[in-house]
Amino acid sequence: MNAAITLWHKHMRKSFLHSEEIIGMLIQPVLWVLLFGVGMTRMLGDTPMGGSDSYLTYMLPGIIALTALGGAVTGGFTWLLERVRGIVKEYLVAPIPRLSILLGNALSTVTKALLQVVVIFVVGGLVGAQLSFNPLYWLAGLLLISGYTLGFAGLALAFASKTDSTGAYHTIIFLFNLPLLFLSNALYPLDTLPIWMQIGAFFNPTTYVVSGLRQTMLSSGANHETLALWLCFLAVALFAAIGTGVAYRAFRGAIK
Amino acid sequence: MKHETYAGPAVAASGLVKRYQEIVAVDGVDLTIPAHSIYALLGPNGAGKTTTISMLITLIEPTSGSARVAGLDVVKQASEVRRRIGVTFQETVLDDDLTGRQTLDYHGQLYAQRKGQRQAKMTELLALVELEEAADRRVKTYSGGMKRRLELARGLMTEPEVLFLDEPTLGLDPQNRAGIWAYIHNLKEQQGLTLLLTTHYMEEAEHLADRVGIMDHGRIVVEATPRSLIEQMGDDVIQIAGQGDSSEFLAKLQALPFVQHVSSGNGLIQAGVDLGNRRLAEIVTVATSTGFQVEDISVTKPSLADVFLKYTGRQLRDK
Repeated sequence: MNAAITLWHKHMRKSFLHSEEIIGMLIQPVLWVLLFGVGMTRMLGDTPMGGSDSYLTYMLPGIIALTALGGAVTGGFTWLLERVRGIVKEYLVAPIPRLSILLGNALSTVTKALLQVVVIFVVGGLVGAQLSFNPLYWLAGLLLISGYTLGFAGLALAFASKTDSTGAYHTIIFLFNLPLLFLSNALYPLDTLPIWMQIGAFFNPTTYVVSGLRQTMLSSGANHETLALWLCFLAVALFAAIGTGVAYRAFRGAIK
Repeated sequence: MKHETYAGPAVAASGLVKRYQEIVAVDGVDLTIPAHSIYALLGPNGAGKTTTISMLITLIEPTSGSARVAGLDVVKQASEVRRRIGVTFQETVLDDDLTGRQTLDYHGQLYAQRKGQRQAKMTELLALVELEEAADRRVKTYSGGMKRRLELARGLMTEPEVLFLDEPTLGLDPQNRAGIWAYIHNLKEQQGLTLLLTTHYMEEAEHLADRVGIMDHGRIVVEATPRSLIEQMGDDVIQIAGQGDSSEFLAKLQALPFVQHVSSGNGLIQAGVDLGNRRLAEIVTVATSTGFQVEDISVTKPSLADVFLKYTGRQLRDK
């Protein structure tokens, strides 16, 4: 665990050395909220959406999931670069558990995602999204988003362990991004979707994290969500475990 | 982090093999390195030096065979081995964004060194490799030689018993190379370290190593002290290049009483003789009588390069 924290610290320090990385990381989700959220809300007018008072409120958890996804991609990319440049070897000959190397990367990815989430909520609140103010609910929401980020960080790390090409990595990862966002309840209620999309959304972890976030971090939303909160937690926890497991296996394979 | 030092050989490997699908990178290496000595693995690129080191430093597992470092098995006791070794890799493995001091500090943290211990060690090592003034600059501003020195310091952070240096002076100019040699030499003399280094620079092996192993095609083809390897070449070496069928010439050369050994490869013939300058004329005469046309002939004092040519039939470009 000591080693994971050391590596987490190193990754965080390196990120903060590049002010453009931090600024970009914070501006991107704000743009989503401001441009897409406000624009869609104007189009839909006062139409209540899935129990939320406005579309802006409704889609906020979806933007969070998307942002977490982006963070996981960056985390995998960091790993890919460290592998290609040989920096990983320094970790591999150190007397530390293999898992802690992965964990250090995943932890810094989750930390950065949480920072972004807070920014999204603050900006969302400023432009009129109806947020919950129960700190316990917030904690639950942050837990959900951490699990979700961990799961995707794992998948991204696994893929980054399999390829040496940064181009291939980005192509494949972005191919995943689209269905993960649109084949879910992130931007529209599940019951408006055709049945084949509903089935797809049922297998998409995004659906569970978004539903869970609506029930915890928003002041409205909860009544209209069809998925029970415990189910959301269970699905996200399972996803986090699978992601970590897949990453560990790929990682073991990459260092043989 | 001081451990009870193991009294036996620092490195003991037997029958090490590493196979990647159909490629055999290391093909049965036996290696014993006594403590407090410097061993150089000498060979061309692709000879299997780095793969051999990678197995000894627990980076990869051998396909077969076994090895002990500081008395510990590199597979079964990998974690214990890692605690006792220091490593520098062939390529530069540094984070450009960190400063020299941060690089060393994170390394110490990975090995769970205490803060006070890390700071004392950093002060000592930055002085040793003469990077005190640059310590708080980012690594990206360092020259190649400074990066190598920083990596050497990093390898020493955790007070290793055995230090593995893979091509420690690759790509450095002669001045920087001489500097690194001085540090390496001191580490053995003053700190009693055991060092295994790989190199394809002849002078490096000749200058530094107590023992040299010449590696080719995944095997150690010959191993001895640099001096005895060179002495077996004879007092002088005559190198002959020419045209025509050399087989008869080689046979006659071998039979001459003053010729100590003959080898050939890549169109170059080598003969170890007692007194080079006096034998030139005679050798040319023999060559002409067998129909071999001498185009170039020279006398040199034997070096490891000649030893290398003798055992591998190839020249190791000494650049």
